[in-house]
Amino acid sequence: MPSQYLTKAGLSEEARYFTVPDAHLYTVLHQATEPVARVLLVGPLASERHFSYPPWVRWARYLAARGVEVLRYDYRGVGESTGAFEKMTFGEWKEDVELLADWVTSRSPRLPFVLHGLEIGAILAGKCFHGGMGDALLMWSPPSSANQALRASLLQWAGVKQLLESPENRTSAAEYIRQLQQGSAIDVQGYQLSGSLWSDSFDVKLPSSLNDDMSASVAYKRPVSIVKLGKSASPLVPPFRGYLETKDLNWLYSSNFDWIASAVAIPAGRPK
Amino acid sequence: MTETIGTRELIVLDTGEETVRGTYHKAFDKTGPGSNLTELNRVGVLFLNSLSPTRAAPGDSAVFWADCFAKCGYPTFRVDSPGFGDSDGDPPPACLNFISKGGHASVATAIVGQLIARFKLPGMVIVGLCAGAVSAIYTAAATPECKGLVLMDPYFHLPPAIGSGGRPVMRQRLNNRISRSAIGRLVRGKGGRLTTFRVFFSRDTLPSNANVLLLDCLRGAASAGLPILIFNAHTQQKPLQFDYLGYILGLAGSKSKVLVKTVEGTGHSFSNPTGRATVRQHSESWLNAWFPLKKCGKDDEKMLRSQFTSETVSCTPQARLPLHSKG
Repeated sequence: MPSQYLTKAGLSEEARYFTVPDAHLYTVLHQATEPVARVLLVGPLASERHFSYPPWVRWARYLAARGVEVLRYDYRGVGESTGAFEKMTFGEWKEDVELLADWVTSRSPRLPFVLHGLEIGAILAGKCFHGGMGDALLMWSPPSSANQALRASLLQWAGVKQLLESPENRTSAAEYIRQLQQGSAIDVQGYQLSGSLWSDSFDVKLPSSLNDDMSASVAYKRPVSIVKLGKSASPLVPPFRGYLETKDLNWLYSSNFDWIASAVAIPAGRPK
Repeated sequence: MTETIGTRELIVLDTGEETVRGTYHKAFDKTGPGSNLTELNRVGVLFLNSLSPTRAAPGDSAVFWADCFAKCGYPTFRVDSPGFGDSDGDPPPACLNFISKGGHASVATAIVGQLIARFKLPGMVIVGLCAGAVSAIYTAAATPECKGLVLMDPYFHLPPAIGSGGRPVMRQRLNNRISRSAIGRLVRGKGGRLTTFRVFFSRDTLPSNANVLLLDCLRGAASAGLPILIFNAHTQQKPLQFDYLGYILGLAGSKSKVLVKTVEGTGHSFSNPTGRATVRQHSESWLNAWFPLKKCGKDDEKMLRSQFTSETVSCTPQARLPLHSKG
């Protein structure tokens, strides 16, 4: 039972484990025929991964069909990767990006390499880019800090719980946040969010030089694009509606593919 | 990069119709000098997708349970249904309707057959949450290789009609919107009490939206003596509905081996610490009773199983079971 197969569209996809300290990352390589560029997809964290998964996979297939080899993966302690989520740190998740970026760039032949992150993944991809990795950087909806993303997830979950619990058992979002500030762990959509992860998340931000894509492209001398996704891009981003539908996001995919193509100079004539 | 690590292996299955991707959690092998494991009973455990986009399930709870069952000695598998997760294709339009009519059963049956042949298993216990439980019931009816069922919050009614745009028809949408308003909540409160009253006095009559085909499949499996473990999440806001499980148990007959557990302090996904621990604990005990990996005497076996038959276990603390409306 090899872990590689051809999709109906004729694309080769290969799932593998990648060894990192104390864990194995689940990766899926979307191979392209005669690839002209490579992209590492750095996805959203925990419960956001769950909802955004279908359009994230379709985006990887969209790129692969157009000559871009894509590697996507699950963070340590999340999804199919091994490790305990509650013990993980942002430092370890950043290390995941760095190790995989190293692996992608070591592939032969050498091709232009794009780091592409979504939400918290955009921050982590941005930090790696800042450290010198990647020929281009594409960020979808980077939050102002990792805490903003965790807080949004917590507020949504607290709202759902308000609906399900009887009045005497309801806990407000403010109370959950108070518990986190006191160092307690709380359950958010099945993930144990620790007090230390919460407090660390305030300091996980994009380098200030990456706050604006125009000036960042000049400063880094490498192309940078920041795309703020609205509700129309759900379920890639909150409110995560329609995650079971095959939502047509080709408008988003095509414009971003065009940016990647121009950023890494993909020759014209590739299928679009 | 590798497709296999110490405890897991990534697999691809060609079901004939679709190619699906999955994860195999290797059974912890206690065999060694002095071991009395019996290979004959080493059934596999297969998790089917609910409406969750991935085989990891909400909060990666399916990964947790699969790791636990494998550590107990049961080879455990999780697969992405066609159109979900890393499998090929798109989800079927009107997905809930498709699943409620048994749309995934043929693929799931093929998956069971392939896994049994590949891993030389004597049979498979199928686990499903919500819509996954519905698919599990249909699959059990379709293949004799299914040796047991673990169902979490199954639902037994047909979903509301879906319009051509893939959304509930206008009447249902209006109903949903009004029911969320302040007036709607007031009416719903009184309506709930009326429903309780009506259900109590019409306990043998199935509601008009009952999924009769699904109920028949479950009744058939129960009547044939298939071991079945059902978890229901007990939450405050579930509407009181017809007691489908009571109805099934009433028809299943004396051979029935159905155990129903109501779990307090968890939600529909059972993904919080309470839900995870309860499902793990009861499922492991249940597996050990019906599919023991260690040889034991007939009396011991009888005693173990007696704790897991519908005759000896009080199903729920409530007379009427609350059920969820969607997965």
